[in-house]
Amino acid sequence: MKCFTYTQKLVVALLVMISLSACQSAPQSLYQRVGEQAGLERLVDAFINQIGQDDVVFHYFKQTNVSHFRTGFVSHLCDVLDGPCQYDGDSMVQIHTGMNINEHDFNHVVDLLIAAMDEVGIAHPVQNQILAKLAPMRSEIIKI
Amino acid sequence: MPFFVFKGCLVMALGIALLGSLSVAVSAKTLVVVDQHGSPVENAVVELLDVTTNNPPPHQIAIMDQVNKQFSPTLLTVVQGQQVSFPNSDDIRHHVYSFSPAKPFELKLYAGTPKAPITFEQPGVVVLGCNIHDSMVGYIYVAHSDAAFVSDAQGTIELPDSVSEYLLWHPEQANSITERAKMTWPTTHSRVQAEIELITPAPRNTFGERFKEHHGQ
Repeated sequence: MKCFTYTQKLVVALLVMISLSACQSAPQSLYQRVGEQAGLERLVDAFINQIGQDDVVFHYFKQTNVSHFRTGFVSHLCDVLDGPCQYDGDSMVQIHTGMNINEHDFNHVVDLLIAAMDEVGIAHPVQNQILAKLAPMRSEIIKI
Repeated sequence: MPFFVFKGCLVMALGIALLGSLSVAVSAKTLVVVDQHGSPVENAVVELLDVTTNNPPPHQIAIMDQVNKQFSPTLLTVVQGQQVSFPNSDDIRHHVYSFSPAKPFELKLYAGTPKAPITFEQPGVVVLGCNIHDSMVGYIYVAHSDAAFVSDAQGTIELPDSVSEYLLWHPEQANSITERAKMTWPTTHSRVQAEIELITPAPRNTFGERFKEHHGQ
């Protein structure tokens, strides 16, 4: 059995170091951690189902086009969670102006989103990071 | 007695005018629109074909409003070349569009952002939808002339005595949505029944429709 030369060992060691450091310098985006496009679609479908079974906020959505909502929310999440998307739909302010959403109903929708994330098996630390990304939009959604 | 003579003439003239208007009312024709089961059909549009159209389109801007996430009215008849304004009386936004060949267009209607009226140049049927609220469906019937009439809840339409050939259309007709059936009035009749086959509209792509088992209609 032929032994590796010193140079060969060095090259292998360097390759291992490079691949390790590559892993560390490019952590997965939230988009990747939720399973990219397919994962986002599963999440939004679960969220749509949560809304559909809910009695508190369903009235906001009753006449909404399901496909329009699904496409828009998937694209928006992809953008916000650092995926390869540019959300070009209506702004959060344009969408929610006139709805007069109060804190209670807003919080309830957040709960439905958390239930949907649980349903599709997104780990809690990832859930928290997603909610932290969405939280700044709160003032563009409620009481307008 | 010139005064009394004048008065007599006036009474006579009034009498003749009254008779004249009565005779018009009596000789007007009535169309009753029914579906394939014989039930009266409301909101059928009848357009007379033998009408000369030298008149310019009406200056009046017709209005297709949006109220409580519905088009109001659901059906609007206008004359070719007439303008239609699309206000949004709801607090929330709407996104009105049409794919109809007679007038494809789209309008993003946010609260407090007025839009210029749209001119409907081509006669035909324009189906309206809202991108956001799929439960919203409206129709603009663009007629060749102002001789377009809409049936009431009893399915009846009073038509001028001169009616001969006409088009018949309904938003829920079994025929293609843009097709208008050409009909001929039987000359000896003053009351005619016309049948149009209707179908139940396809369910809309809404949360309400998808989850109606949980929430009811």
